[in-house]
Amino acid sequence: MKTTPVNDEQRAKAFAPTKKPDVVQRQKLAVRYHVEDFNVDDRPRRFLEAFAAILRHSNYQFALDHFIRMSAKCSRCATQCQVYLATGDTDDIPCKRSELLLSVYRRHFTLAGSLRGRLLGTGHLTDEKIQEMAESFWNCTACRRCSMECPAGIDHALITHLGRYILSEIGIAPRALVVSTREQLEGKTGNTSAVPVPALLDTLEFLEEDMKEELHVDIKFPVDIKNAEYVFFPAVSDFLMEAETLMGIAAVFTATGDSWTTGTGYFDGINYGLFYSDRILERVVTKIDVETRRLNGKKVLIGECGHASRSAKYFLPAHCGGKDALPVINIMEYTYGAWKAGKLKLRPNAITDRVTYHDPCNISRQKWILEQPRELLKAICADYVEMTPNREDNICCGGGGGTVSIDEIRPYRTAVGGLAKANQIRATGARYIVAPCANCKKQLRELVEDQGIDAEVVGLHDLLYKAIIFDPAMIVEPETEEDAVEEVKPDATGSADK
Amino acid sequence: MDAFLEFATGPLFRLTFAIMILGLVRILVLDLIGMFEAYRRAGDKTIPWKLTLSRTLEWVFPVKRVISHRPVYSVIAILFHIGLLVTPIFLFAHVQLWRDGLGFGWWTLSPGLADTLTLATIALGVLLFLGRVGSRDARSLSRKQDYLWPLVLIVPFITGYVCANLGVSPALYRLSMLVHVLSGELIFVLIPFTKIAHCVLMPLSQLVSTLAWKFPARVDEDVCTTLNKEGAPV
Repeated sequence: MKTTPVNDEQRAKAFAPTKKPDVVQRQKLAVRYHVEDFNVDDRPRRFLEAFAAILRHSNYQFALDHFIRMSAKCSRCATQCQVYLATGDTDDIPCKRSELLLSVYRRHFTLAGSLRGRLLGTGHLTDEKIQEMAESFWNCTACRRCSMECPAGIDHALITHLGRYILSEIGIAPRALVVSTREQLEGKTGNTSAVPVPALLDTLEFLEEDMKEELHVDIKFPVDIKNAEYVFFPAVSDFLMEAETLMGIAAVFTATGDSWTTGTGYFDGINYGLFYSDRILERVVTKIDVETRRLNGKKVLIGECGHASRSAKYFLPAHCGGKDALPVINIMEYTYGAWKAGKLKLRPNAITDRVTYHDPCNISRQKWILEQPRELLKAICADYVEMTPNREDNICCGGGGGTVSIDEIRPYRTAVGGLAKANQIRATGARYIVAPCANCKKQLRELVEDQGIDAEVVGLHDLLYKAIIFDPAMIVEPETEEDAVEEVKPDATGSADK
Repeated sequence: MDAFLEFATGPLFRLTFAIMILGLVRILVLDLIGMFEAYRRAGDKTIPWKLTLSRTLEWVFPVKRVISHRPVYSVIAILFHIGLLVTPIFLFAHVQLWRDGLGFGWWTLSPGLADTLTLATIALGVLLFLGRVGSRDARSLSRKQDYLWPLVLIVPFITGYVCANLGVSPALYRLSMLVHVLSGELIFVLIPFTKIAHCVLMPLSQLVSTLAWKFPARVDEDVCTTLNKEGAPV
């Protein structure tokens, strides 16, 4: 992976502070993303208290002990971090970022470090170190490529994850994530995009009409169906921004005939807890569990969303029943399985433009879903090309780790975090970038726009929608010409054509 | 000098060797206890064994990873590790000492191969040091021990080579042997307390990381209680 670092001018633009000076003054913390007002007194002590509480009740301590005993500082991780390759700032080397937290752990939570620190009177946690951590941990997209490339096996992503958790416990977390989560857990709508149920139902009805008009198939979005096989949780933003993806998913289910449903009690797959707080992570996955059980669904079905899929798949068992937890399946797994089983027929070469596939980190890094979407795409695309590197080694879109939700740092995301991805996309010459993840879609759209790349970002199911072969018995008669004329009649001026 | 050399090769060797073994056993046991505790507390106890094992083997035998990134550095590092391990363990003179002490020995290197490996290890150690000094990335990360270790590690190799191959005066031979033994013993003592602990911990790393992501249930409630945040808004 070769990336030319950003120049000084681009850098100044990408890192420009978005907060007003009086806010910085009040909060005594100059991080670029907007942090809500918080208690600035005695921060180091409160940081250490939060750190201690988390260590006591979590499983991080033994890993930190392991890491501090063997960290070799070889800098191999530097070859993998798209942020470092773009900034050229050694503070962005994953190993150096990890050291920020490991040094606090070593100094305050190990006997040797504590004795050494007291004897020399050095190394204790200061406001400046907290400031450094607050900046550094949010420069990371939490893509986990560095962790795969560490010869010593140090999981830098885990350390960043823990660092953010501790910071959030003392009030230092991006406002965008906190506000969304507050609405999800305590707001009236109960989801991160604040979509009320009537608006959801309107949207689904509207999409059903659209699909009938386009495909002449009566495709439904089942709602609150009890005992369905699959209870569906997309990133709730899909209802606002990814209509084509949702239509593709509904079309797949109509073709296969399997039972699925959206629940009006809770319908959001997003889990920002994965990005800043394990407490929030736990509370959000519990909501998914409660809704699925309310509907007596058999499986949790997550839509095209990387972090939502990972959060549910890996943390629902952790917090909601262990081996008895509800099974979690990603929509790509479902669609692939249906296609392989012959329940879903696809038209070859339905897509003639060049198509490439972007692996969302949260889905691919652990080798969870790699080949299924590729096989589906190869079945319907005449010109499919790979990005390099790909699969578990793929490069993050640049909006990972929740950064895509922070609109204030868009210049950073598209000029720094996503620079390597932009180069990777350009090299493919693809017309369509398939990104089966709500976060990746948003980031990549902003990236191609800001980087001037002529390509369209779509979901896997957006393309499948155009390639599904329905059973002829499902085709309903198109509306007659007379009906159509009736519809446009009220506007006799001819504006219906516009 | 002779008495000191005798002490260094006798009681001091046994002491430092014991410190190394016990120190490594200590951290290994602590690691295993930590892992077991984490597993016991984990809400989700499924471990992706195949993936974890394959990633472990990829790094224990890092052939696959050599050419992917920084191939020159990687090859140097791998060969250095081979030299560090193979040469002292299979050197004829060392095996002979074990044979005298334990009553049994094992396969040994031919003198020519031993010399080649020794000289190669010295050269590779110097290259690793220079690589660290010369790399902006590595420099920004390095602690004192990161610079010192390649240099400390080649001291027994240099002195060993001098003793085995160069026709130096008896006094210089004894001095060289003393430095050889003492530097080896210094390394023994430091191993469990420095990053060289990776010699036993590294194969566990992938499993450690996998287990660390297996969170215990009820984190929310427990952390809130400890921090007096029960019922606090998001």
